[in-house]
Amino acid sequence: MTDRKPIYLMTPALAWLTAFMVVPCLLILALAFFQRGTYGGIVYELSLDNIAQVFDPLYGRIFLKSAGIAALAATIAVVIGYAAAYAIASMPRRHQPILLFFAVLPFWSNYLVRTYAWIVLLNREGLIVSFTRAVGLEGELPQMLYTETAVVIGLVYNYLPFVILACYAPLSRLNPEIHEASRDLGASEWTTFRRVTLPMTVPGIATGFVFVFVLSIGNFVTPALLGGGQFQMIGNLIYDQFLTSNDWPFGAALSMILIAIMMGLLTLQTFASEKASGQQRSEKVDD
Amino acid sequence: MTRPLLSLANIEKRFGELRAVNGVTLDIHENEFFALLGASGSGKTTLLRMLAGFEIPSSGSILLDGRDISQVPPNHRPVNLMFQSYALFPHMSVAQNIAYGLEMERLPRSEINQRVDEMLSTIQLAHLAERKPHQLSGGQQQRVALGRALVKRPRLLLLDEPLGALDKKLRGEMQLELKHIQNTFGITFIVVTHDQEEALVMADRIAILKDGALLQCGSPRDIYEYPIDRFAADFIGIMNFLPSRVDAGALSAADGSRISALLPGDLKSGDNVLAAVRPERLRLGAADAENCLSGQIRAMAYHGLDLHLHLDTPLSSQPLMVRLTADAAEGHPFAVGEKVTVGWSAHDTRVFTV
Amino acid sequence: MTNRSSLRLMLLILSATFAFLYIPISVLFALSFNASGLPTAWTGFSTHWYAALITNSDILGAALNTLIVAAASTFSATLLGTLLAIGVEIRRRRGHFLETLIFAPMIIPDIVLAIALLSFFSMLDLRMGLHTIIISHTVFNLAFVCAVVRARLKNFDWSIVEASSDLGATTSITLRRVILPVLMPAVVSGALLAFTLSIDEFIIAYFTAGPGRNSITLPMQIFSMIRFGVTPEINALAVLVMTLSVVALAISQRLNRGRLPGQ
Repeated sequence: MTDRKPIYLMTPALAWLTAFMVVPCLLILALAFFQRGTYGGIVYELSLDNIAQVFDPLYGRIFLKSAGIAALAATIAVVIGYAAAYAIASMPRRHQPILLFFAVLPFWSNYLVRTYAWIVLLNREGLIVSFTRAVGLEGELPQMLYTETAVVIGLVYNYLPFVILACYAPLSRLNPEIHEASRDLGASEWTTFRRVTLPMTVPGIATGFVFVFVLSIGNFVTPALLGGGQFQMIGNLIYDQFLTSNDWPFGAALSMILIAIMMGLLTLQTFASEKASGQQRSEKVDD
Repeated sequence: MTRPLLSLANIEKRFGELRAVNGVTLDIHENEFFALLGASGSGKTTLLRMLAGFEIPSSGSILLDGRDISQVPPNHRPVNLMFQSYALFPHMSVAQNIAYGLEMERLPRSEINQRVDEMLSTIQLAHLAERKPHQLSGGQQQRVALGRALVKRPRLLLLDEPLGALDKKLRGEMQLELKHIQNTFGITFIVVTHDQEEALVMADRIAILKDGALLQCGSPRDIYEYPIDRFAADFIGIMNFLPSRVDAGALSAADGSRISALLPGDLKSGDNVLAAVRPERLRLGAADAENCLSGQIRAMAYHGLDLHLHLDTPLSSQPLMVRLTADAAEGHPFAVGEKVTVGWSAHDTRVFTV
Repeated sequence: MTNRSSLRLMLLILSATFAFLYIPISVLFALSFNASGLPTAWTGFSTHWYAALITNSDILGAALNTLIVAAASTFSATLLGTLLAIGVEIRRRRGHFLETLIFAPMIIPDIVLAIALLSFFSMLDLRMGLHTIIISHTVFNLAFVCAVVRARLKNFDWSIVEASSDLGATTSITLRRVILPVLMPAVVSGALLAFTLSIDEFIIAYFTAGPGRNSITLPMQIFSMIRFGVTPEINALAVLVMTLSVVALAISQRLNRGRLPGQ
């Protein structure tokens, strides 16, 4: 096979990606440096105002808030997800695929539907309230829907299956003899986990964390539905610039910052997993 | 001599800085069973892939029936390859696999069916014609791969480590079967192998490759009995090497004792050389032989057909290996530590420069 | 893990996780069959909320739009993505830039792709509608199809491609008679995945649908219904949508595992 033929196979798809992803994204990049007209629309004058506006304390706060919520959701999802993946990996081999399948299954149902399910649960007339009344607990429960907590719960719920999948992959690839070797050399179960299992499964944790963080910080649906417009995250802010306040250049600038954060994190994650796989490779040589 | 079927002239193949094949010149004749023998990295597979058309030589020519095919794509060459992994099409039955190459020639259906049926009976798989490859044993898969290439009646059939994936016993049977099939079809076979025994058993001629270059080419007997250098001697079979020095037309060993050998003319007194002798050329208790030496048994290995003795001798720091046939060992209750005397003749001694 | 107490801990973790994952979905499922449709009390089993869906022309129209978008974008994405996957894997040299380009549609935040496409289409003065949603969905769908097919190609025995060529086949015959048949389970699996993703996709569709009700898809319909408030019809609709994607995914998984043996 020469290197020339594959080009024909790749051309249609690459052309598609160029026309409908690369060019639009470059367009957004360019847009970020133009200005909004007085009545909306775009004035083609170069300026850095939009970029500066992103760092305005008003919007800076929204950024920090979004990052905080995303980090919280990612941390909780990784803790639960890693524990669940570890539990699946410690079950008998033949049961693992089916457990994993059911852990990931909800991920493939509609995102809106999954979010909606939590509205039903957390609602003032929702199931949790009805349940506490039914068991006879009196007193007013605090507002649950349309709070930050609700948004975090929604994000964790929606992305947990992916974290389980990401953490399970390196856990299932661990050679059980490595675990046994550590125990044989006198380490306790906990020490073995901390010194052997955990370091070798860092790539899965990193992947899971970055994924949840990136998808959360740019999320629009969950804050809109579970946050109920009580507060804004970057996703909603971008949405508003395009569909309500009609300030496309500022919306474009916000998206660029979002992309920059995402690329930074992905680079870090690649770095983390390369470092970890480097470790594993040297272990293979030692065999 | 008639024109060779295949003529390689100064073939080179470079991958970046690496010279995988470095100036190989070789003639292969009609109806020959030829083996390319070498360790991994010797360039034998690259050479084979150039013959099949999957690599294009960086320089040099490949003449098949007098026509240069080095730039011809694989699907236009009258050459077929039996892949090391067999490369059977997993979604096609045995019969479909075999028919595939004939369909590419756009032969009429009736002829295809007839030739496929013939081939199925040749490779004794007529009863499994509708099976998929994964339902076959390794040996059966190997026969399908052979049949699929052979049915095209190529001018040249290339076999890449054909027996590598088979277990030892099956390998022995298949060696003979391949020879038989080659004889029946009268097609020239080129086998690539790293297994010297396989090459010795099957091939009419063997070429040893080392570091991309042709080291020695000849009949199995030539290669075994008259290796061209120390590497070839060591690569094929087992060889005892005795470091020595040329001294007035004879050899003197490390301990000063003399070794009789037929010396090549170009050696001068004082040259350091290696005297070499095959384990089966050493005879037990041959005090009358031209070379004679005693040693102490360090270890023994019983192989059924023969018995291997490893002797500690004053001639070399390496133990000397002696191979006794079951007959010769009969009635000798050898024990480790026992002293024995062995002898060999001068014309069984080879001499290599260091 | 051999000792009993740690096994018990693992089972506890698993039960808690599965409870967290499945209780919300199960509640929806149960509610959709509750005659009153309200979470406050169970008033008897009923399918009339489902019946109500069938008579709701807004929902039916949205469902039809969704199917059109999903089918069309799946078709184009499968074609483009499969060829792309084969092309990328045949190449021996891997370009970092190429890998990033192919990977990008899967990780780019959907809100960003959504506004980028909105700006792009409006800058071209393109009238937006179902066709622009189809174009946009093809972007990420082709990346997912490509990923699924490439995963299959990772343990693909390339020597069968050489064997085909050695036996006299041209590149296009090899593609048609050897590569595609062997890849078919992965291609179908990738197509089903794309179909699922397209059915569920909301944000990009929302931004590229253009004004007017003619190009509203099911997720857009669900979104506006949810914003309007909790109504019993959504429960039934949610269960239907969820079932549809889960069934498509289950088939896709099955096909991917049932790959041809001997590879």
